[in-house]
Amino acid sequence: MRIYLDHNAAAPLKPAVREACAELAEFAGNPASIHHSGQRARRLLEQARERIAALIEADPRRVIFTSGGTESNNLAIFGTAIGASARRRIVSSTVEHSSIIEPLAALQERGFEIVRLPVDSDGHIDTEAARAALDSATALVTLGLANSESGTIQNLAPLAAAIRSCGALFHIDAAQALGRIPVSVAALGCDLITLSGHKLGAPAGIGGLYVRDPARLAPLILGGPQEYGVRAGTPNLSGAVGFGVAADTIRNSLDVESARSAALAERLLAHLLDAVPGLTLNGPRGGRLPNTLNLTFPAVAGESLLLALDLEGVEVSMGSACAAGSVEPSHVLLAMGRDEAAARSSLRISLGWSTTVAEIDQAAEIIPRVWRRVSAAEPLRPSFAEGASR
Amino acid sequence: MSARVLVAMSGGVDSSVAAALLHERGYDVVGVAMRLASEPAGRVAARRATCCSHEDFEDARRVAERLGFPFYVVDLRADFARRVIGNFVAEYVAGRTPNPCVRCNLEIKFDRLWQRARALGAEFVATGHYAQIVRGDDGHCGLARALDTAKDQSYFLFTLGQAELGRTLFPLGAMTKGEVRDYARRLGLRNADKAESQEICFVPDGDYARFVESAVAPSTPRPGRVVDDAGRVLGVHRGVHHFTVGQRRGLGIAAGAPLYVRELRAASAEVVVAPRAALASHGLIATDVRLISPAAAAGAPIPIEAKIRYRHPALPATLTMVAPDRAEVRFINAGPAVSPGQACVFYRRDQVLGGGFIERAL
Repeated sequence: MRIYLDHNAAAPLKPAVREACAELAEFAGNPASIHHSGQRARRLLEQARERIAALIEADPRRVIFTSGGTESNNLAIFGTAIGASARRRIVSSTVEHSSIIEPLAALQERGFEIVRLPVDSDGHIDTEAARAALDSATALVTLGLANSESGTIQNLAPLAAAIRSCGALFHIDAAQALGRIPVSVAALGCDLITLSGHKLGAPAGIGGLYVRDPARLAPLILGGPQEYGVRAGTPNLSGAVGFGVAADTIRNSLDVESARSAALAERLLAHLLDAVPGLTLNGPRGGRLPNTLNLTFPAVAGESLLLALDLEGVEVSMGSACAAGSVEPSHVLLAMGRDEAAARSSLRISLGWSTTVAEIDQAAEIIPRVWRRVSAAEPLRPSFAEGASR
Repeated sequence: MSARVLVAMSGGVDSSVAAALLHERGYDVVGVAMRLASEPAGRVAARRATCCSHEDFEDARRVAERLGFPFYVVDLRADFARRVIGNFVAEYVAGRTPNPCVRCNLEIKFDRLWQRARALGAEFVATGHYAQIVRGDDGHCGLARALDTAKDQSYFLFTLGQAELGRTLFPLGAMTKGEVRDYARRLGLRNADKAESQEICFVPDGDYARFVESAVAPSTPRPGRVVDDAGRVLGVHRGVHHFTVGQRRGLGIAAGAPLYVRELRAASAEVVVAPRAALASHGLIATDVRLISPAAAAGAPIPIEAKIRYRHPALPATLTMVAPDRAEVRFINAGPAVSPGQACVFYRRDQVLGGGFIERAL
């Protein structure tokens, strides 16, 4: 039996999503076609759009479908940069997802000035520092609403007015927040929001971008007139329908689901704090994604713990996987001031809709037992972190 | 519950077949590829293949998926950099010729990987080495040459102690390379005909001197003089790390008779050259000696065959332990040039008695 505690990477399909996607598997129809099947496809696509818009309290005409959070972040950043004419400054932070970090690095090589705001030990950016970084050359502020690794939730709404008044666009990456905490266009007051389907039980390969003003965003994928001209290409209809169903389900149960998730996470945390002396929680005690626990295990190589847990059936994650498939220490934890040894002995446990009390209780028994074995067999020496690359 | 074994998989045919054999025999196999060096920066498509390349790991992963056992990439770069690459560089700078494969087995495969195996609940570590472990009735384990003497890799494994040998498996020890390839083909392994890796894995282009220079401060490699036995200066060189004892090419001097490197003096940055006849040695002093067979521990000289380089036939010799970790090896007939830093492994017929690292020639 496997205990899947990696919902921040991908959640299993929700049963209602699976049903809706399976129904579409036998259906051929392009929303751009004139005939009946085309019209049906169009209806389904627009219904999905409405459902997702409803979840974030947005005008459906401002939500476009993409292939996922990574594309949405790329579109928000490059699309704004290309459309921004003379403005050459972008404000972001040190704890963003790689699909923000890498586009910004590419723009920096092309002459953009990138401001990367630091975070405190809980992973919060300083809102005052963010305001101070704004100037008349700022094209874009791009920040994550909830961090996928630490679970830290940023208080971004107060920044919106200042960003607007300096003439920049405000992009919020809500890929990890959507479906876990309320994400509302009105409450956030931003211009662009990245949405992702597979973190909340839709298939991978579908995402969205809320775009307040399509005129200020240059499209990156050119071709047909789909998605209001912002993103060409025949949309992923079954993915979009699945995303719509997942959004609909969570909209009606967000409070209940997030309370349930929080209770399970607290139950696991309490047990682990008890059974693993010296265990520490990374990220704030409150103001965190209810489903996410980032834990530093004392005196152990996290990579070993991760693999040993996998062999015992408990699936968690650590840092980010490199191309070769080994793990790198989390840049988020390093930015939060953890040293490399601590970052290398930290694991992320993320719960979701499929997680049960029985699974949590089993994990609470297995994790300390495996930790004891691993820390006895392979203690993390202080020198371990030195010179990882020659 | 069958015994769990951690199999070190490189993506090559040998370790793939080793894992497949153990899986077939009913072991609870966990495959691991060791990430020892960082991939060169840049886009994946532009990277040149090294042993730690993405492609090799994918070959190993494919074998695991096909046979249905778990597979992971483990990150041992920090230890490899410090304990193997660091030693390699320091040895070259000191005028010696290191053998990083021996060092890697000692420090990484049968040490760090061992810890990892215990952490993952494994009772055994297995590799695709060609060597045999002989388990005696008294519980003592011996190490012997592989059945396929052309492939024998016991030379690289003399550092294994009783604790390691008792919990190590070499499934290929009694197979020929041909049999291993046939087995891989029967299994449909995609890497059955993959080329053998020959060079040192972290120096894929074989340019050791350049590698050493890239790893040390620019001022570390000291230029110096090429001299003969009488101290006459015959030329100049760019650092002793460019040379190994017995080397002929690349000296950059013109002389009547061919000259060979006889000695590297790092302290004075001198490369001593001599005609071939002068390089002959009568034996060597080995340090950091580890003995597998208690038969070798006696103070009196015992007859052995000494292997002073991997690709060199073993030489008849006598072995005298002059201290618990120090041995004097005397060749029966005058032997070839001896390179300090290389391993000297003591054999008696097919048995590995032990070995050490060459300090100097006698």
